[in-house]
Amino acid sequence: MADIDYNALADDDFRMRVRAFVEARYPQALRFLPRRVRMSEIREWWNTLYEHGWVAPNWPREWGGMALDPGKMVIYLEEMERHGVARAADQGITQVGPILMKYGTDAQKDYFLPRTASGEIIWSQGYSEPNAGSDLANLQTLAVVDGDDFVINGQKIWTTLAHDSTHIYLLVRTDREAKKQKGISFLLVDATTPGITIRPIRNIAGHDEFCEVFFDNVRVPRDTLVGGLNEGWTVAKALLGFERLNIGSPRRPQYALMRLEMLARAKGLLDDAGFVDRFIAIKLDLEDLASLYGRYVEQVKRGEPLGHDVSSLKIWAMEAWQRLTDLLVETGAEDGVIEGAHDINGAEIDFLAPFYYARPSTIYGGSSEIQRNILSKYVLELPS
Amino acid sequence: MVSEHAALLKDSVADFIGRGMTIGRVRALRGTPGEYDRAVWRQMAELGWLGISIPEAYGGMGLGLAETAIVAEGLGRALAPEPYTACAVLAAGAIAASDNEALKRALLPAIAGGERIAALAWQEEAGALDGNHIAARATPFEGGYRLNGTKRYVSGAAGADAYVVAARSDEGLVLGIVERDAPGVSLELAAIADGRHFGTLALDDALLPREKVAAVGEAAAEALASALDRARAIAGAELYGVMSRALEMSVDYMKTRVQFGKPIGSFQALQHRAVDLYIQQQLASAVLDDSLRALDAGPDAPTREAIASRLKARCSDAAVRITREAIQIHGAIGFTDEYDAGLYLKRALVLAAWLGNSTQHRRRYAALALKAEA
Repeated sequence: MADIDYNALADDDFRMRVRAFVEARYPQALRFLPRRVRMSEIREWWNTLYEHGWVAPNWPREWGGMALDPGKMVIYLEEMERHGVARAADQGITQVGPILMKYGTDAQKDYFLPRTASGEIIWSQGYSEPNAGSDLANLQTLAVVDGDDFVINGQKIWTTLAHDSTHIYLLVRTDREAKKQKGISFLLVDATTPGITIRPIRNIAGHDEFCEVFFDNVRVPRDTLVGGLNEGWTVAKALLGFERLNIGSPRRPQYALMRLEMLARAKGLLDDAGFVDRFIAIKLDLEDLASLYGRYVEQVKRGEPLGHDVSSLKIWAMEAWQRLTDLLVETGAEDGVIEGAHDINGAEIDFLAPFYYARPSTIYGGSSEIQRNILSKYVLELPS
Repeated sequence: MVSEHAALLKDSVADFIGRGMTIGRVRALRGTPGEYDRAVWRQMAELGWLGISIPEAYGGMGLGLAETAIVAEGLGRALAPEPYTACAVLAAGAIAASDNEALKRALLPAIAGGERIAALAWQEEAGALDGNHIAARATPFEGGYRLNGTKRYVSGAAGADAYVVAARSDEGLVLGIVERDAPGVSLELAAIADGRHFGTLALDDALLPREKVAAVGEAAAEALASALDRARAIAGAELYGVMSRALEMSVDYMKTRVQFGKPIGSFQALQHRAVDLYIQQQLASAVLDDSLRALDAGPDAPTREAIASRLKARCSDAAVRITREAIQIHGAIGFTDEYDAGLYLKRALVLAAWLGNSTQHRRRYAALALKAEA
């Protein structure tokens, strides 16, 4: 499979190949999960993708990737979403890989890239801290140069799926005197290094999706540094555009929308004008989102970089998704607060899982408030 | 992708708006019985705008809604009182979609040339979205039909020379041309928020001669329905122009108005408010682009209705919200008649209500979408 030039295929041909593959090979039980999937559940799918040469659609071919151009990349992602493919702990593919290819040394690339693709190494992102959330540049975890090593002390938090990861990519402070963004470095750290403690945090949905990670005199070699010393902010910021496009995909809320319509039919609510007014407003909010998303997809396909205006996509997508799950729970009335999937006049509905799943979407990846600040400053050019 | 026509049109619209379409002119014309400037209308005809979507065979340019929308957006930005959407798109569209070839050859070139102005007199009840409610009667006689009934909410009525009237006969709907000064035709004008008027057209045994009948039965119903949906799309484009200018004004004001020693645009409460308006404008823009492209591809009737309703709902809501909040962002000055923000709100209110407001269009969309999926 690795010899195929996917970009030379017609879009529809490529789409059908991806669709057929996912349809045949992706486990039914993992489709449209209203929560993050654990590595133990999705390891087999990772292996399937890896063996097929499809685990790294964005990577160049020399590193075992599919080398998809932006247009084909969008199709690949759309077909994954169409089948409700859960997002594995794929930050090694989406983040670490591209960062290493841009800023890594040859030794780093040779060691980490093949192992990241195979799933031998699974990455988690050590960015946020108790006092560095939206104000990420305020991070305080300290890495002090000591001979050929860094010695790390501090704490990371909201580290998604850290307990499934073998390695953590970290932003640490290496210069306390410099201005906030200037004294930060980017490190690749083995999670089994002595002094690291990972503690899962239970979220309001009852899942252990994110963790606290403590660093107590953790000694790692100097060659874990990616990019220059104190240049970590630049390294980390290089990739945010495409992530914001992906996060605004109109397919993400489809599961909840289908459930709500199913529920409405089961309860005979499509004859209730009050309900229909609210339902259709949200349905249209999502269809209009698809138009906005399509516009950015076209931009990416033309090879143009995404500007700050793409923040509007994330805000609208996430807030519409929340409104949808709000209405799902409200429409359930007392049934809406019963946990787990249960039968409503023949329809199998889980009310709370989609509701909880949508909650953090306006917080992670830059909160809605931060996105509004970005639009205000860079797009409307309002004064500060 | 922007077509060559579109690029040229954009330049020509920007140039024309920039040269003479001042808000001072809008203020001077508001409330006058003539409502708009015939000289400007003739200039628009010379530029080819009045015939953009009229087929070339009938003296137009034969372009699509995507190009028509460029003109409408420009006129919206300038708050032009000229009844472009009502006459050059809605009424002309109803005639162009009819099947009386001789009538089309006689009338459409004159409409495209700006010599004749027709308005569509179809509606009788507020909130009606289609011709099903029409009660006005078309009673046949040997020379054509006698028309009786009352047509309301006729946009562009004030300056029209003729009306495209829809009435019901035993053969179904009848669409035909009635002259303004014909016997049995009387017009009353009701002032509306934006300084223009809705016409109420009373038909008392008014004669519709056979050669002036545009279409009858299914053909008339389809011509009316498609003209209404196409005009909704162009009204959406006009609303987009209105909201875009109102948003620019608000953001500019936030950068210059100083209180507490700082520009008010530095306050986060206002920044986030402005950003939410920007998101609405972006959504409207994306929906408009997608919808115009889809309508120009010639969809079947239910699809066309769904597209037009989605577009009209979003553009109406976005424009009313942006222009309403423009008043708030400007503070007391925004509430004065002297300041332009109020003019933008009023035009948005009128265009949002005309041809169906957002709630009605969402309901029509719901009926179509939920039926299709059942």
